Amino acid sequence: MERLKQLAISEEGFIFDPVTGNSFTTNGTGLFILEALKEGREEKEIVDLLTEKYGTDKENVSRDLMDFMEQLRSYRLI
Amino acid sequence: MERLCIGVSGINAVDNPGPGIGVIRSLKEDKDLKIETIGLAYDAMEPGIYMDWLVDKSFVLPYPSSSEEEYIRRLIYLKDRVGLDMIIPTLDAEMPLYIKAASLLEAKGIKTFLPTKEQFDFRGKTKLSQVAEKIGLKMPKTKTIASYQDLMKAIEEIGLPVMVKGVFYKAYRAYTYQEAVGYYRQIVAEWGYPVVVQEVVTGEEMNVIGVGDGLGNDLGLVGIKKLWITSLGKIWTGVTVKNDVLLKAAKKFVQKFNWKGAFELECIVSADDVYLIEINPRFPAWVYFATGVGVNLPAFMVKTAFGLPLKSSRDYSAGKLYVRYTYDIVTDMSVFQNIITKGER
Repeated sequence: MERLKQLAISEEGFIFDPVTGNSFTTNGTGLFILEALKEGREEKEIVDLLTEKYGTDKENVSRDLMDFMEQLRSYRLI
Repeated sequence: MERLCIGVSGINAVDNPGPGIGVIRSLKEDKDLKIETIGLAYDAMEPGIYMDWLVDKSFVLPYPSSSEEEYIRRLIYLKDRVGLDMIIPTLDAEMPLYIKAASLLEAKGIKTFLPTKEQFDFRGKTKLSQVAEKIGLKMPKTKTIASYQDLMKAIEEIGLPVMVKGVFYKAYRAYTYQEAVGYYRQIVAEWGYPVVVQEVVTGEEMNVIGVGDGLGNDLGLVGIKKLWITSLGKIWTGVTVKNDVLLKAAKKFVQKFNWKGAFELECIVSADDVYLIEINPRFPAWVYFATGVGVNLPAFMVKTAFGLPLKSSRDYSAGKLYVRYTYDIVTDMSVFQNIITKGER
């Protein structure tokens, strides 16, 4: 998660990558996941936190998290 | 600190802007320096001539390609006329002349801060791969050609699309043999031989601006990414970046080659690969971007040339934005008249 630590992330969900100069936006859930990843939490743990936070089923959360992680990978942010 | 009179060329602040206005603005903004700026123009229409809040005086020079003697004579006239202490040339076409005349100008009391001829030559497009290797960067497959047969062979080896480039100016992307031949002929007709054929690499365009002191040290480095470019490929919006590979390569470039003077490394960053595309032996037109983030390279250059102290921190933050804009001036015809009839303002 070294790459994640380099990112400048604002409270409004604006993300700036100082290495590539790319910027991204995300919503509150995305911010929550990024913060959890920066804290070094495992994906399984994040699924539990999101399930609890949004009161929805684990299967959906798990699938959405997988999508989000894939997006982060494609942007080479993790 | 006594007043210094500095001549700066490239005051053609047009759609393909010269770096002069950025250099002059940087010099004027340095708090330790008292600079009288002299705009060195080649045409009465260069906007810098009319920007009197930045350019204190302007003079028209003969083209560097016309007569070297006449050119130097004009500079010596400027020395006598306004007390020129230093010249910062910023245009590619001027560099060979200024490098050649550096010691003559120095003897006449006009300082320059330029690379040697050897340094200027090895960063040329034909020898760039050797530089890339030495500073830890990749280089797109490149062939230097001088005939139609060479061109065909180069395309076969590299594969389409290819970049067809002049040694000093112009670069075109060709998707077909026919296009490549067209561009090849166009470049030869305008700029002569040789022509460079290069593999197209895709990725983010990132550049580094810096100044080397000629002893292996840099006076400052700033890395940027172009976010928005004009149809001529010139930066309109950009952002500062801190890409380790890029900045280390720039540092190495200065160290390994004892580079003296301003430079710009043009690179393409594709995932973890950084490709060196070009090294310009001068300030780029976006030089003021570095000044705006606290790294006033033109001022550092002048201070070093005159043995003045530099501030110790020459770092910058990533994520600073650069935005160009257009502006209009309305002035009296007399300025134009003077520059046409007397060659000065």
